[in-house]
Amino acid sequence: MAEFTFGVTVMPRKEVLDTQGRAVEEALKREGEPVLSCRVGRFVELKVSASDRKQAEVTAKKVAESLLCNSLIETFTLGEANG
Amino acid sequence: MGQDTRDNAELDRKLRHYRLSRDEHRRIVGLIGREPQGVEWALFSALWSEHCSYKSSRVHLKGLFNQSPRVLQSFGENAGVVDLGEGERVAFKMESHNHPSFIEPYQGAATGVGGILRDIFTMGARPIALADYLCFGRPEAKRMEKLVDGVVRGIGGYGNCVGVPTITGQTEFDESYDKNILVNAMAVGLFRPGEKVFLSKASGVGNLVVYAGAKTGRDGVHGASMASESFDKESEKKRPTVQIGDPFFEKLLIESSLEVMEQDLVVAIQDMGAAGLTSSSFEMAAKGGVGFTLHLDRVPLRDATLEPEDILLSESQERMLMVVEPSKLERLQALYHRWGLDAVAIGEVTKDRVMRLYWKGDLLTSIDPDLLVEHPPRYERAYESWKPKHRITDGPVLMASGLKVGEELLKLLGSAEGASREFIYRQYDGHVGASTAADCRESVGVVRLKDSGRGLGVVLGCRPYLMRFDALEGGRDTVAYPSLELAAKGFEPLAMTDCLNFGNPERLEVMTSFVAALGGMNELARELVAPIISGNVSFYNETEGRNITPTPSTGLVGLRRSVEELPTSNFTQAGHEVFVVSTSKIFEFGGAFAEKTKLEPRAMGAIDRDSVKSLVTSLLAVEAGGFIQASRVVGKFGLGYALSRMALGGVGAEVNGHSFAELFSERLYEVVIATSLSREDFEKQWATASGGSAPIRYLGRTGGSILKIGSDVELTVQELTTVYHRGWVQSFPNLAVNV
Amino acid sequence: MAKSIGKSVVGVIRFPGTNCDRDVFEAVSKLGGEPRWLWHGDLFDHKEYSALILPGGFSYGDYLRSGALAARATAMKSVREAAVYGTPILGICNGFQILCEARLLPGALSRNQGLRFIDEWVELKVVGGLSRFGQNAKVQTASGLRIPIAHADGRYTVSVDEANRLEDRGQVWLRYKVNPNGSVADIAGVTNEAGNVSGLMPHPERALETWMGSSDGRALLDLWS
Repeated sequence: MAEFTFGVTVMPRKEVLDTQGRAVEEALKREGEPVLSCRVGRFVELKVSASDRKQAEVTAKKVAESLLCNSLIETFTLGEANG
Repeated sequence: MGQDTRDNAELDRKLRHYRLSRDEHRRIVGLIGREPQGVEWALFSALWSEHCSYKSSRVHLKGLFNQSPRVLQSFGENAGVVDLGEGERVAFKMESHNHPSFIEPYQGAATGVGGILRDIFTMGARPIALADYLCFGRPEAKRMEKLVDGVVRGIGGYGNCVGVPTITGQTEFDESYDKNILVNAMAVGLFRPGEKVFLSKASGVGNLVVYAGAKTGRDGVHGASMASESFDKESEKKRPTVQIGDPFFEKLLIESSLEVMEQDLVVAIQDMGAAGLTSSSFEMAAKGGVGFTLHLDRVPLRDATLEPEDILLSESQERMLMVVEPSKLERLQALYHRWGLDAVAIGEVTKDRVMRLYWKGDLLTSIDPDLLVEHPPRYERAYESWKPKHRITDGPVLMASGLKVGEELLKLLGSAEGASREFIYRQYDGHVGASTAADCRESVGVVRLKDSGRGLGVVLGCRPYLMRFDALEGGRDTVAYPSLELAAKGFEPLAMTDCLNFGNPERLEVMTSFVAALGGMNELARELVAPIISGNVSFYNETEGRNITPTPSTGLVGLRRSVEELPTSNFTQAGHEVFVVSTSKIFEFGGAFAEKTKLEPRAMGAIDRDSVKSLVTSLLAVEAGGFIQASRVVGKFGLGYALSRMALGGVGAEVNGHSFAELFSERLYEVVIATSLSREDFEKQWATASGGSAPIRYLGRTGGSILKIGSDVELTVQELTTVYHRGWVQSFPNLAVNV
Repeated sequence: MAKSIGKSVVGVIRFPGTNCDRDVFEAVSKLGGEPRWLWHGDLFDHKEYSALILPGGFSYGDYLRSGALAARATAMKSVREAAVYGTPILGICNGFQILCEARLLPGALSRNQGLRFIDEWVELKVVGGLSRFGQNAKVQTASGLRIPIAHADGRYTVSVDEANRLEDRGQVWLRYKVNPNGSVADIAGVTNEAGNVSGLMPHPERALETWMGSSDGRALLDLWS
C-alpha cells in the first residue's frame, strides 16, 4: 500500500446563500479594499492509503461526498494538497 | 390521442406541479372567471397551500378560545400580544419547521428559529426568549444521531448569534418520529412601556411598498406547498434549494427594524416567511382592503437569472416587507444603510383592491388579493367523535409484578426518554440579555421584565405518550400540565400559543385525533383563562404512509410578582417538609412506564377541568405566601421518577413507602412540594388556600445524600446523578457530553 | 490620569453582531458608571473616556475567525490609541477575541476542545497579576467567583513557552478552577504588558444579582463605583 495526498476544496453551492462570504465581502468593501466579491469555503488535506492512485481517488471522493461536503449546500473539488 | 385528452394531461401535469387539485382548479376558474395564467398559478399554489391557507383546519380553529381582557392581538397577525399591565406587553408565537429539518437539520432548525424571531420583532417587540419543542425518533433509527446533532447545533447556531436566550425546551423520542422529526420553535418578545405595536395591515393610498433586508435567491421556491404534502422518496428529488439562515444578518435586521419602528417610519410591516413575497404582499393588502402595484424587477436579487415566479415564491431568509410614507423613505433607507442593509421601494399602495404585478414594464397579472387570501377552499375533513379506550373501573392501572422499584427507577433515569438533556441545552446561550432568572435546568424558564422587575415564565406542553394513549386527555394535558408547572413556581398562566403537528388530515384517524385534541386543549384553555392567541398547524407529517404521533405542542406564558426566591425544581436544603398536593378528581393511567415496558394499557377517570383550576389557584395562593421552596409537577414515569429528579440537586429525602403502581403510574394531577414551614403550618396554609378543593398528602422530609422511599428504595444522590447523565451518552454514544 | 475626567465615562463599543452591548451598558450604569455608546464605524476621542468595554456577541457572525473582522473596524484605531495612552480597556468574550485579533492582547481563542458551544456556570480564580481589573477584583474576592460562560471559541491558545512568559510577567489574571474548553493553563483571562488592556471569556454582566444565579460579576466590573 502506498500513501496519496489530496486537497479537497469545499465551497458553498453557487445558488445557495454564502453567509460567510457575504459578511467578509462587506467588511472588506467597507474598508475600501478593491474587492469585487468573496466566497468562503474550506480546504481539507487528506492522506489516503491505497494500492494505486486510482483507488486512492475513489476513497478520497467517497470521503468527500459522505462527510467533508454536504451536497445539499456545498460542492467539492479534488485536487493536489497545498504543500 | 384527442385534443381533450391532451389538454387534460397538460392540466394534470400543471396541477401536480403547483400541488393543486382538480376541485381547487374549478374553484379558481369560478372565482376569476377564466383559466389562471402565468404567475397566477404560482400565486394560487402558494396561498392555497395547507401551510398558508389552513384549509383543512380553519373550520376547527374558528371556535378556539382566543380572547381575554389581557389579549391585545390574537390570530391573524404575525404573533399574538398580551397585556401584562404596568405598560409591559409580550408578543409570542410558536411555529414548526419539521420537513426542512429532516432534509437538512442544521439549516432547517436554524431557519425555523430565524422565522419565528422575525414574526416577533416584525411587530416592534424585542425578542427576549426562545424555547424549543423537539421530537426525535429512536436513537438507533437511521440518521437519528446526525439529526439530533444537526438540529441542536442549528438552534444554537442561530439563537446564540442573534443574542436571544433559549430558556426552556422539551425533547421527546419515539419510533413514530423516526422518519419525520418535529422541530417547533417559540419566541417571546417584549414591548416596554411606551413602545408601539406594529401590524401588517396596509394603508394609505400612494404609500410605498418597501423591501428591506437580504437579497432574493432561489432558496426554498415552492417550500410552502412542499410543507403541505406527505413525505416520500420523491420529496428528495423535488426538494427546493435549501434555505440558508444567516443569524448575523438577522441580528442587523432586528436592530435596524426596531430602530425604524421606534422612529415611527413605517405604516405596516410583515416579514417574508413561507411563500415569501407572495404571502406577505397579498396578506398585507387583503388585510388593509387595498391593492399594491409591485415591480418585481425592482426586487434585489442574489441570482440574476431568477424569473418572476421564483421571485414570488422564494423563501430567502431575513427579508421584510413594509408600507412607508413617501416622505419617510429617505430616513428609513439611511437608517437601514447604517446597519449595512438595503431598503428599496418596489411598489405602492393603490385604492382599488387589485394586486398589479409588473416585470420590466409588462403587467403579469392584476388580481383581487381577497380571492387568494380570503377565499381558499375550506375542507371539512371527515372525523369521528372521540371514544375513550382502555378504561377500567377498578385499579390498579399498572399491573406489574416481580419488578424492583430501585432498579426500575435507575433504568428510567438512564433511558433516552428519562435521561438528562444537558447535552442539548448546554449548547444554547441561556443568559444573553442578562435577564434570565431560570434557564433550561429548571422546569419553567424565567426572564425578568426590566421595567417592572416582575418575572415572565415560559413553559412548553404536550406529552406524546399521553397523546398516543388518548388524544382527548392528551389535548387537555397540553394546557393543564404546563399551567400547573407555572403555578407551582408562582406564575399565573396568562395565554398560550400552539403548534399542531399532525399526520395526513385526509385520513380519518388523524382528523379524529386532531378534533379531539383541539377540543381538549380548548376546553382547558377556556377554564384556565389561558387564551390561545397564536399558533400554527403542521399537517402531512406522514412519511411513507406512517403518521406521527398526534403532537399538539403548546407554549404558555405566566406572570409572577418578582424573580426573587423562585421555587427550584430540586431539593436544595435539608429539613424541608415534602408533600404531594393533587386535583380532587384524578385521571390515572399506566403512563410512560406502561408504554415503555409494554404493559397492558389501562386508565381510570378523566382530566377534570374544575379540579385543575382549583389546584392552579391553590398553588398560586400558597406560593405567593413564600411557602414553596421547591416544586415539581409529577409527569412522565410518575411519582418515583419525579422524586428522583428532585434529588439531582444534591440533597436527598426520606419519604413514605408506596406500592409499585403508586410510584410508576401517572395520576393527573399531582405536584410535589418542599416547604420550609413545619408540617402542621403548611397543611394549615394549604387548607386555607385550597378550601379543601385540592387534597394534600404528607410524604416526608429532605436531607442527607440518599433518596429513601419506604423500605424499597435507597439510592444515593451520586448514583442517581451519574445514571441520569450517563443515560444520554449511552443513547447517543457519538454525541458525548463533556469532551 | 483617566480618572481626572471626573464622573466615570465608559465607552461601550458596538460592532455589527455584538449582542451583549445593552447588557454591558446597563451593568455599567447599575454599578455607578456613565456608559456611552461608541459605533464601530466611527473614530472617537479616547480622552473623553475613562474606560472602554468591548462587549460579547458574534461580531460579523464570527465568520472567518471570531473577532477577525471586527478587529479591523474603524473604531479600533481609536481603541489602539487608548491602549497606548493607558486607558483601561476590557474585552468580554467576543470582545476578548477582538482584542486578540487586533494584537492588543497576546494569544488567540480557538474552537473549544469539545467543538461545541458551551453555556455553563464556571468557578473562577482571580489571579490578579498586572491586570487592573484583576487587581481590583482580587481585593474583593478571596474564595473565587461563580460566573457563566457562553462561547464556542474560548480555548485560549498560545505556545507553552509563551504561556510561561505570560505567567512570569503577570499577564494571566483569571483562571478556570475546572477547565471547560481546553484553554492552555486553564487561562480564562489575560492582560497586556502594561496591565491596562484585559480580556476574559466569562460574562460578568450576567452575574450581578442573586436572582441571576450569582452576583460575583460585580467584582470584575466594579471599576467605577
